[in-house]
Amino acid sequence: METNILCIPVLLPLVVGFGLLFLPNKLKLRSGALTLIISFVTFVLSIRIFALGRAEYSWAVLQISDFNLELLLRTTPLGAFILVFAMGFGVLISLYSLESMAGARRTNEYYGAVLLTIGGSAGILLSNHLLFLLIFWEIVTASLYVLITTGGRNSNFAATKSFAMIGASDAAFLLGVMMAWGLSGTFVITDIGLATTSTLPVVAFLLLMMAAITKAGALPLHTWLPTSGEHAPASVMALLPAAIDKLLGIYLLLLIVRDIFVLQSAALSTVLAIIGAATIVVAVMIAMVQHNLKKLLSFHAVSQVGYMILGIATMTPVGIAGGLFHLLNNAIYKCCLFLCSGAVEQQTGTADLERLGGLGKKMPITFATCLIAALSISGIPPLNGFVSKWMVYQGVIQMGAAQTGSTAALWPVWLTCAMFGSALTLASFVKIIHSMFLSRLPSDLKDVKEVSSFQTVPMMVLAAVCVLLGVFYHVALDRLIYPALGVGAGADVLTGTWQSTLATALIVIGVAVGLLILLIASFAKKTRIVPTWNCGEQMSNEQMIVPGTHFYKTVSNMGGLRQLYSGQEKGYFDLYDQGGRFGLFLTRFLRWMHSGLLPMYLTWVVVGLLIVLFVVCGIW
Amino acid sequence: MSSALSNLFWILIFPGFLFTVVLGLAASWIVRKVSALVQWRVGPPFAQPLYDIMKLMGKEILLPQEAQRHVFIAAPLVGLAGVLLLSTMLWRITIAETAFVGDIIVAIYLMVLPSLALILGSSASASPHAAIGTSREMKLVLGYELPLVLAFVVVIIKTAGHVEPGQQLSLAAISEHATVLSVSGMLAFLASLLCVQAKLGFVPFDIAESETEVASGVIIEYSGALLAVWKLMHAMMLVALPLFLVMVFLGGFGTAGWPLVAGIGKYVLVLVLIILIKNTNPRMRIDQAMRFFWFYCGIALAVAVILATIGNYYGISWL
Repeated sequence: METNILCIPVLLPLVVGFGLLFLPNKLKLRSGALTLIISFVTFVLSIRIFALGRAEYSWAVLQISDFNLELLLRTTPLGAFILVFAMGFGVLISLYSLESMAGARRTNEYYGAVLLTIGGSAGILLSNHLLFLLIFWEIVTASLYVLITTGGRNSNFAATKSFAMIGASDAAFLLGVMMAWGLSGTFVITDIGLATTSTLPVVAFLLLMMAAITKAGALPLHTWLPTSGEHAPASVMALLPAAIDKLLGIYLLLLIVRDIFVLQSAALSTVLAIIGAATIVVAVMIAMVQHNLKKLLSFHAVSQVGYMILGIATMTPVGIAGGLFHLLNNAIYKCCLFLCSGAVEQQTGTADLERLGGLGKKMPITFATCLIAALSISGIPPLNGFVSKWMVYQGVIQMGAAQTGSTAALWPVWLTCAMFGSALTLASFVKIIHSMFLSRLPSDLKDVKEVSSFQTVPMMVLAAVCVLLGVFYHVALDRLIYPALGVGAGADVLTGTWQSTLATALIVIGVAVGLLILLIASFAKKTRIVPTWNCGEQMSNEQMIVPGTHFYKTVSNMGGLRQLYSGQEKGYFDLYDQGGRFGLFLTRFLRWMHSGLLPMYLTWVVVGLLIVLFVVCGIW
Repeated sequence: MSSALSNLFWILIFPGFLFTVVLGLAASWIVRKVSALVQWRVGPPFAQPLYDIMKLMGKEILLPQEAQRHVFIAAPLVGLAGVLLLSTMLWRITIAETAFVGDIIVAIYLMVLPSLALILGSSASASPHAAIGTSREMKLVLGYELPLVLAFVVVIIKTAGHVEPGQQLSLAAISEHATVLSVSGMLAFLASLLCVQAKLGFVPFDIAESETEVASGVIIEYSGALLAVWKLMHAMMLVALPLFLVMVFLGGFGTAGWPLVAGIGKYVLVLVLIILIKNTNPRMRIDQAMRFFWFYCGIALAVAVILATIGNYYGISWL
């Protein structure tokens, strides 16, 4: 029974989810409540698995002569720790969806896909067999497709694009798995340990890496993410691209780098570092100028991956720990941000930043949680985003000091990208906070109300975790991150100093000093409410609204950047669009050949025969 | 318990709130007096900055009707707390030469807090002028963060050979080495000086609160005690930011004897440089400022990073 515990979180959601998926949507079941219960059960089980330490489970599915297909499940410190958080996100999103998906048409399908996602990701995190890992991976990809289509108009296009891009990377994954099998003769992850010294292992590494970074959404294979961000429901974005896809993608990357391969080629870590640094800066530069709230957040979901990849690329303990911690932190605040955006979109009917404003008074809880998450993603101390970025920076600096080779020599480039990217992130979140919650309330949003507690509770939980993980980051590192990476507790990983609890206490004291000043002043004079000073002009509320959408036109109109921005807008740098153009060209060519004229076809037949003859004769 | 009490003493009395405020008010008097002398005026008496604060404290606080009042009131307090933490941290590290609160990365991030508080406060005040100020302040931060990061990289490269591997980020270790005494260090120092100028919101970078353009922009709706808190925060920044430059580039601030005198000299030197730049330049437009920081300062510092790397590699310390 003790070992079966590994089986339940994988199979229970998968079975129920599969069932729900095929139930007609007209059948009004309490599928939401069912999903919540099952996700909660798996969450509790995942905590038990985490507490259990090492456990294994195997079930021989198929045996043909010496080919042995076994469902191998096992816990690793890394997998179990990510599992707890993935299941936690499952619970929070199920709770949130109870309200946000209440009016949707395809609820059974939606909840079925949510359960499949939960079960699939549990499978990925527990499986010790590459083929099963691949199957679970596909289940998550397919359920992402279903989930995106439950969005509004145009969501089919977004779902197709996501499926095409992730599916293509999954094909690479399959090829990589086969190559790894061919080279090592085993599918069991813990037994592989390939050295990246010759060409074949390097190709296999690159293929697997492609799968990992596409799922996580790093450059240049990120473009599915913003497109689906624009059209999919916010809860879907919060569950998959913001949280679980990140967890899985980076988990796979860590698996590749640490277990499947023994990384010996400096060029590969340079590739990783370039992807990481470029992802940070490029994605955030694009995010800054977006007008659609969810699309903007999606570009940040891309940009933040860069920190994780860069951290792993440093190959220093502090860098990898920072990358993993950033993965966790990013999943938390990005999930929170998407949930906030969903709440706002649901209550106002728009995600267009230009039409929002002043909602801080109307939706105080959403505002507070969104502000915390926004400050956290911008790396403002003492929140959690700061800690993990700070660790990644240390990793980069340590790499420069301790290692030799091109990646290490270029550390100033990586560090500048990472630290400057942080400032750019702050800039785009200032834009969001200004345009959504501060500024002035447009008259047509006068009656907006706060969302119900089904939706505020998940947001508050996530925001609270942001603060706690930031202030007590030592506990998180010692209990979660270091054991997951096999670093002994209390080990000297960090090179910098950040006494977060002391700093927080001192900040609180500082605020108290300021409050005291205000209190003293309030004895002297009363406060008075006055209309906004507008140089004496008589203007209506609408005329006085300055939304944040124009903020960074200064950047996008700057010489040199303008051309890049307009190229990006037209999709020149989107591999999917370029692939589409190539496909279009190919079909035009084929259409031109299939003109319906008999002589044309005869010519082709003759040419083909000639080639066949030539080949056959040549061989003989 | 005693450590909690001593922390409380540090943050409230010395070298925290009381000390920094007194020093900051004195520094802002120096700014006003020297500016006056440059412009052939007499200038204010020594206690004028204090009188201004007292006067503001006695005025009523006006709250704009449409404002998000919680954020509007909390913003100056958070800004004050941030600068207070930064200042206490820098002075503690100077005095005790141990780690306190954070390293150089933490210092760089804490320096963003006042600007961020200003941005949120102005954004919350529901005024179109303030919204323009918000945008300008944020873009200014964007502008100077790039040279500041590059200057930080230069410092790390230049001090790499002089500190133990584990101490690379320690402010106490960095401040023992005068990075400015090299070509790349000089470039980094000058660029950081301009960044500090922008952080302080002094001409030519007083774009966010330019009185003649957007009527004080970011602080247009602030009055009474809330404005007094902003003024206090600014005065404290006049202490903390030049001190940061002294520690990172000029070889630190001594605690006794000649090093102390030299430290005061360095601090005054930085302050006077800032004042002179303030008084001899016209205000930039925001796009000019961004281009200035990103392209001119950015390229100069990229050269500095390359020089420092070459110098480190071949052991040429003056590069």
